[in-house]
Amino acid sequence: MRLTGVGRRYGLGGPWILRDVGLDIPEGSLLRVEGANGSGKSTLLRLLAGIDAPSTGRITGRPRTAYVPERFPAALPMTAGAYLTRLGRIHGLSRAAASRGALEWLERFGAAAYAGTPLSELSKGTSQKVAVAQGLMGTPGLLVLDEAWTGLERRSRALLDDEVRARVAAGARVVFVDHDPGRLAGEADAVLRVEGGGVLPLPAPSRNRGQAPGPPRRAERARPSVIVAEPPPGAVLPPDLPGTPEAEPAGDGAVRLTVAAPHSDALLRALLTAHPPWHIRSLTPAEAADPDAVSEASHP
Amino acid sequence: MTALLRYQAALLLRSHRWLPPLLLYGASMAVGVQGGQPILDCAGWAAATLLPVTAWLVRVCVTNEPSAARDCSAAAAGPWRVHLAAVGVALGAALLLAAVGVAVVAAVGDPHSTGRRAAVPVGSAAAAGLAAAAVCALLGTAVGALCNRPLLRSTAWAVPSTLLAAFVVLFAGASPANAVVTGLVTGSRTGVVSIPWLPLAAAGALAAGAVAVACALASRRT
Repeated sequence: MRLTGVGRRYGLGGPWILRDVGLDIPEGSLLRVEGANGSGKSTLLRLLAGIDAPSTGRITGRPRTAYVPERFPAALPMTAGAYLTRLGRIHGLSRAAASRGALEWLERFGAAAYAGTPLSELSKGTSQKVAVAQGLMGTPGLLVLDEAWTGLERRSRALLDDEVRARVAAGARVVFVDHDPGRLAGEADAVLRVEGGGVLPLPAPSRNRGQAPGPPRRAERARPSVIVAEPPPGAVLPPDLPGTPEAEPAGDGAVRLTVAAPHSDALLRALLTAHPPWHIRSLTPAEAADPDAVSEASHP
Repeated sequence: MTALLRYQAALLLRSHRWLPPLLLYGASMAVGVQGGQPILDCAGWAAATLLPVTAWLVRVCVTNEPSAARDCSAAAAGPWRVHLAAVGVALGAALLLAAVGVAVVAAVGDPHSTGRRAAVPVGSAAAAGLAAAAVCALLGTAVGALCNRPLLRSTAWAVPSTLLAAFVVLFAGASPANAVVTGLVTGSRTGVVSIPWLPLAAAGALAAGAVAVACALASRRT
């Protein structure tokens, strides 16, 4: 996906919000967008998501897209479950997959009890879960998150973090804005700073790579990853797991899975989306206890 | 596109915002369509009523989705498709009203010309009435598409413009809507029924053009 000379202003004589933006967003990249309030972050995200067309320039190669807004006070006259099912259909899912996905995502965010509640009666946090679930219903090639974490509780934020990692590992482009500087810290392929109408690609912190968004992080991928997962009652390890991990018992009925790092996100995803889902205790690079490891990426 | 149409139709149906335009249609029909009146006069009244009602339905449909939800569906399907689906649902609802209105006219209207000079076959009168109603629905769609979001975003501009444009289109000499309504009333006097093919084609082209403009601007102005 490529942006060439993209500019946006509102009204014919209005000031330029963004001007002459050129960006190349390859598959499997995670981009963080930063900037002061009113700098044009949201405008950039809306242009990327295709909600807004650029006043000048071109955006080419946009894949199937999903967008999650910061606030979702959508007083739509339907229930959360019905809305998600309909959005799933719009995202290209079959009827059965859409209604199954709607319930699954509400369940994963711990909001299954609200499937039959009208959207207008949901709390702010639950509305936001519906908005996030809507974005994750299909398999978008581009996921645009405009402070999507705002209003979610800790467990749902972690779930969204994990899902972003899994989507990026599976080749999707994810572009996000979040006020928390620690959000997916050190994992973004690039940070785009929106300032004075321009977009400056900054070097991604803690990543020894070039400035511009490029192919996904290679350096980290050499080491195998260790996932400790707890099976749901009565479940055995699903066959044909991604990366064919080595499994050994880890005490308390949990299983320690060692897998080549490039497959770790896909493996995580397979475990979390199994029926019934597994509980992930930890994800660490092998041979070194990493304090930054994702721990307690829990699941409802 | 089917999924979008179903979504927009569900929004319209469950929002109950179709009720005021429906009441307007019902009230106008109660005034203008009464038992024993010449069938073609009644059909002309029913068609004319449908034009402002359709413009109102289009306004309801294109403003029905809260902006946060519209952003989500626009990212998934493209803003122009979302807008097209909204307008399409309004037109569909208007054509449904047209069919019901013509059925009522055929049921209660007197199948004779004015003054009961000549018999008017109910079948061809209903066909002509339906075609006239379709012309008015298409032109109402054009008015609604051009006088609301994304072209006119503020309610203060959109509502008076929609109302004014609907009446201008209904009464202007060159308008296909005026042509079909006049055609029915004249037919009622002479007892001659004809299907208004030319105005139907013109109204279809005008509606397509207006909706294309609105859909093209759907991603330009939010």
